[in-house]
Amino acid sequence: MTAALLRDLRLYRRCLGAVIRGIMEYVADFWILIGAGIVTQSLGLVFLGVVFAKVPTLAGWTFPEMVLIYSLFGIVAGVLPIFADGIWNLGRLIHEGRFDYLLTRPYSPLLQVLSRSMGFNGVGDTLASLAMFGWAVAHVDVAWTPGTVLVGLVLLASAIALRLALLVIGNSAAFWVRSPFVFAITVLRVGELGRYPIGIYGLGIRLLLTTALPFAFTAFYPAAWLLGRGGQAWLGLGTPLVAALAWLAALKIFNLGLRRYESSGH
Amino acid sequence: MKVYLAIARVTARSVLAYRGAYALGIAGSCFQLLATTALWTALLAGGASIGGFDLPEMKAYLLVGFATGLIGTLVGDWVLANRIRDGQVALDLVKPIDTQKVFFAQNCGGLGLEIVFIAVVSGVFVLLAGPMPGPADGWLFAASLAFVLPIRFGITFLTTMLVFWTENHHGVVWARDGVAAVLSGAIVPLAMMPGWLQSAAAVLPFAGLTSTPALIYLGKAPNPGLLIAIQAGWAVALWYLARFAFRGASRQITIHGG
Repeated sequence: MTAALLRDLRLYRRCLGAVIRGIMEYVADFWILIGAGIVTQSLGLVFLGVVFAKVPTLAGWTFPEMVLIYSLFGIVAGVLPIFADGIWNLGRLIHEGRFDYLLTRPYSPLLQVLSRSMGFNGVGDTLASLAMFGWAVAHVDVAWTPGTVLVGLVLLASAIALRLALLVIGNSAAFWVRSPFVFAITVLRVGELGRYPIGIYGLGIRLLLTTALPFAFTAFYPAAWLLGRGGQAWLGLGTPLVAALAWLAALKIFNLGLRRYESSGH
Repeated sequence: MKVYLAIARVTARSVLAYRGAYALGIAGSCFQLLATTALWTALLAGGASIGGFDLPEMKAYLLVGFATGLIGTLVGDWVLANRIRDGQVALDLVKPIDTQKVFFAQNCGGLGLEIVFIAVVSGVFVLLAGPMPGPADGWLFAASLAFVLPIRFGITFLTTMLVFWTENHHGVVWARDGVAAVLSGAIVPLAMMPGWLQSAAAVLPFAGLTSTPALIYLGKAPNPGLLIAIQAGWAVALWYLARFAFRGASRQITIHGG
């Protein structure tokens, strides 16, 4: 069991390593992507900065609190492209029939897909978000104890796992529909709503972001727990459970799709 | 001219064939509209106003921003970017038609479906989001709207040429769209931004994408004629700038083998 797990990890690292060597052939691209990541993450900060120059609070949330939620979302969203960007290849692999090759290799097809490419924009995303997060943490009112830090790290890891599960589900649509990319992008766009306190949305959207597409757990609920506010702050502690459920669903859906896959030409 | 019309027609047909996928994509953008509307509703509840915008005006601003943000985007720059990347653009250069005009014609081909989507989303938005002002001057607004497509095309075509040097189109697109979102006023109205950013936006072409049509719609532009003239100037300037750049960039092509 552990031996198999170690082998999976080692292979994953080697797959990514091959990708990195490929990318490093194009140094300019590397820097362009990192720059693009920083620009993209700063957009919301422009919005928040401009707005909060005029008003003290937004629906009861202060500027540092909003930045905290926003940057936590940015970290979670930024870390993933670094080590699991390959999921975005799933659609093309299936439609061009190249998914066949993956099935012939003695390594989990899902892990092969995930480790297939790397988005260096994630480095820019993560750096910019970490800077914002650091600033926000210094300006919000949180009583830091070793316990808070530990739970916070668990919630962060769960949030990252949760987002990846939702991306796997979104991209697995490729097994059934002809334009999977658009489907996954739409899921992602819904997820963007999770960058802000969900109290500003109507009941329908709040339910959507909490249950069917639980993006609120990728930033808002964990941040609300950390800040100890936002009505259902305790919900943030449910993030690991939500992540586990999402992964069960993701694996189920991916495997269903795998069984349905009949190479290209359909 | 006939050639380019035919290309626009063919593109319109192929866009129509994938209307379902495009509609799904638009549904995704609608969530962005929903998020910004919710944010501004929370900010401007109870008759407050920020930077001279009250809630109904802000909703109209966001809707115009959504509409102009859709114009000229359905037929993406990915087609050209991929052709440059895998070298097929070399074949375009030997054809007796103008590459830039071909891509402009393709952009125009997407316009029909874009207008349908804009009409549908606007209708639903007005029904759901409640009262908002109508256009202050329909003709001026239409004139300003007409320049959105050529300006967007110019910016897109120019930036796509970077693919002659870089392998990675995503990064270029993200950076460009990010910069454009801020400087066009799509994220927040330019009037609310710090002075230095406003002055930068005033001399750059991006304001013509969102800010100018939206301000003219709301009747908030002190001199709409001048703003439209600036749009027109940029549309023309970008066209020739792109033309010039393309001539230089296409020298980057290396043909391997025989």
